[in-house]
Amino acid sequence: MQEQDAPAFLEVDGIHKRFGGVHALRGIRFSIRRGEVYHLLGENGCGKSTLIKIISGAQPPDEGVIRLDGQEHKALTPIAALAAGIETVYQDLSLIPNLTVAENVALTEQLVRANGRLARRLDGALLRQTSRRALASVDLPTDDAFIDTVVAELPLAVRQLVAIARAIATQAKLVIMDEPTTSLTRREVDNLVRVVGELQRDRVAVLFVTHKLDECYRIGGEAIVFRDGQCVAQGPIHSYTKTQLGQLMTGKAIDGSRYRRGVAGQETLLRLEGFACGHHFSGVDLQLARGEVLGITGLMDSGRNELALAIAGVLPASGGTMHIAGQPLQLKGPGDAIAHGIGYVPEDRLAEGLFLDKPILSNMVALVLDRLRNGFGLLDGNKARALAERLVGELRIATPDVDLPVQSLSGGNQQRVLIGRWLTIAPKLLLLHGPTVGVDVGSKDTIYKAIQALAEQGMALIVISDDLPELLQNCDRILVMRGGRITAEFDAAVADETLLYDAMLASDEAVAA
Amino acid sequence: MKPLAVAADKAPVANDAWLLRLRRLLDRRPELFTLFLLVCLCGFVGAANPNFFQVSTLFDLARASVVIGLFALGVFVILAAGGIDVSFTAVAALSMYSVTQLAVTYFPTAPILLIFMASALGGGLLGLINGWLVHQLKAPSLIVTIGTQYLFRGFLLTFIGTVWVLQLPEPMDNFGKIALAEFSTERGSRVILPAFFLILPAAAVLTWWILNRTLMGRAIFAVGGSLPVAERLGYDVRAVHLFIFAYTGALAGVAGMVHVCSNRLANPFDLVGMEIDVIAAVVLGGARITGGTGTVIGTLLGVFLVVVINNVLIMAGVPSTWQRVVVGTFILVAGAFFVVRRRV
Repeated sequence: MQEQDAPAFLEVDGIHKRFGGVHALRGIRFSIRRGEVYHLLGENGCGKSTLIKIISGAQPPDEGVIRLDGQEHKALTPIAALAAGIETVYQDLSLIPNLTVAENVALTEQLVRANGRLARRLDGALLRQTSRRALASVDLPTDDAFIDTVVAELPLAVRQLVAIARAIATQAKLVIMDEPTTSLTRREVDNLVRVVGELQRDRVAVLFVTHKLDECYRIGGEAIVFRDGQCVAQGPIHSYTKTQLGQLMTGKAIDGSRYRRGVAGQETLLRLEGFACGHHFSGVDLQLARGEVLGITGLMDSGRNELALAIAGVLPASGGTMHIAGQPLQLKGPGDAIAHGIGYVPEDRLAEGLFLDKPILSNMVALVLDRLRNGFGLLDGNKARALAERLVGELRIATPDVDLPVQSLSGGNQQRVLIGRWLTIAPKLLLLHGPTVGVDVGSKDTIYKAIQALAEQGMALIVISDDLPELLQNCDRILVMRGGRITAEFDAAVADETLLYDAMLASDEAVAA
Repeated sequence: MKPLAVAADKAPVANDAWLLRLRRLLDRRPELFTLFLLVCLCGFVGAANPNFFQVSTLFDLARASVVIGLFALGVFVILAAGGIDVSFTAVAALSMYSVTQLAVTYFPTAPILLIFMASALGGGLLGLINGWLVHQLKAPSLIVTIGTQYLFRGFLLTFIGTVWVLQLPEPMDNFGKIALAEFSTERGSRVILPAFFLILPAAAVLTWWILNRTLMGRAIFAVGGSLPVAERLGYDVRAVHLFIFAYTGALAGVAGMVHVCSNRLANPFDLVGMEIDVIAAVVLGGARITGGTGTVIGTLLGVFLVVVINNVLIMAGVPSTWQRVVVGTFILVAGAFFVVRRRV
């Protein structure tokens, strides 16, 4: 939409970066013009994050140049990048939890003005003025009570907007958004799309880093595709099909169709009647057969997360009954659930599931230490290693050695370690919460295949997810929750995204109408 | 999109309203809880022994709070940035003893201002070593300062000296005796509020100003909130580390010199063992040990709380051996309170 001949705002040329023996970036070259939207696509470990770090000044490149408005730089510092108008909304939002909203939004401006030197007076009036202006442009409140709130007290969706407000508080020319929508619900994503439109009108370039292709198509703009540290394609996103993009990213053909092939068994494994938990959800009736894959979706506050937690024994149920294989159960805690063969893979695998700095082996055998004891009652190292190595093979986890720490793996492989841990207890029922959040296309494929293989072995699975195509591809049935109740049930083979999305939002629309 | 209702009430039940308000107030100003403990304690001691409410007691408390107060301000600044320092007493001892020895040997008529500046400078340089090590080694500051604490003390006792300096240079001797206010008790003894007491409020105001009115101050809290994020956002973490430890070292140097002037002798074995009292005072003042929170006022209230416990509990007939029990109980109560405050 802008004049095509305008000089690029940012150009990177011949960028190389090596970490030890890993050649992370191999001669990257592309350019970014003002007022355009770009999507940086690629599998985990393809070098996207490294490139973002180089553009935002967090790391210097080994070779190559960065041109800003035609001016050549060998490397940028965080302050230099900010001074040039490059703002980054990091995946973890990078807000400082103990500072106020105003400080988080507007301190950067003064830091840049002082050129990074800290022996400067703080201009309190300017701080408030700048933060109010930025908050107004993302539709957040601008009153004193809000801007003096400590960020740690805000809900996640508001924090996301605060992070965006920070990015546009100063005269940003390029805003980089690193997976901005992973933690957002559909409605919040809509809001983000609107903000991006406004940025574009102000001639700000936006660079998205994301795995969610559907959103890229919705937003439009240019796609930049990375594979193995090289830029393999750049062009208007609508000139590629989803399958083509998948192929470009992985270098192999990805099947976008249904994974679910098996048939649910006849024997009921889990039965819930009038199941309830405080004000989170109530009156939930549900039946699940062995070998069945059940999807549950809904908005953030629909009670779907709490339902999963209650089935897994993390939250205590406050009413109703739960039967496993015909046997009534009252779970007193996650340990109780594990003993009854119920496994739960949390969404936030970093915070809730994995010991990141511990070896893959230790992470995998954490639930079955009892079984791996030798004659002295101590852990039998050989038995544990054999078990871990068998699972690494079965789940195709890409690692040369089970003694490496889990954090050396990509997101998709980390997720598989977590699934592997649950397989060690051979659960009858496995709950997967957002199994592919932040996971790339290639890894998604292996995770989906693992899900189907487990179902075929007779395990019952419940997948809780925001990713509607994921549910449609993998499940037998999909339940939609709203306001703490199950409000709709769909046969995944015939349902589509629009149907599910409408069911999720139905009551909101009704109120609006 | 409608503006989001952010500060939503969780349980606005009518008869709980004042409780809720109280909780909100304490949420914003945790040091009010410290003040509450302090008032209760003073009320208790005063009830047990009316002599407590006397100017002389107040003067005693003021005198006793200067050194621990200066230490506490320094520790608070480091705690705010997410670190901890246990070497400040060693810094103070090394700095005050060396400067006193230098003055005695080479410049017995040195003006008091120069002596204080020299001690602050010495402390600041030692602190700089701490800061440099913490930043360079990327090691926990607790470990680094335990190490340097031994180094500094070892250096002092091995190379500088082990003997008491009883004959202080005249300007130092005189400075300890200058009275800001004087008061004669009924029994005729004379109690003074020493002029050096003013150093504490001056240091408190300076610390408050740095923390709240400069970019460095905000950077300190940012680093205390999340070091990797602060680094990514362009805050100069190295400058923060160097500054906080140097500043604390300088305050410790001043505190050491106040100690010498007040006691009118320089003992290289002094000051050691105060570390826990000081850290306890800062924590009682509402600063979290994990960093990023706290206020100067809270720190001062925490200091007064500890000073009152250590000095006047005995007036209420509480045996001195019980002082530790009281401090320990208070820390547990305050600690539990501040943790619960975070959870609800």
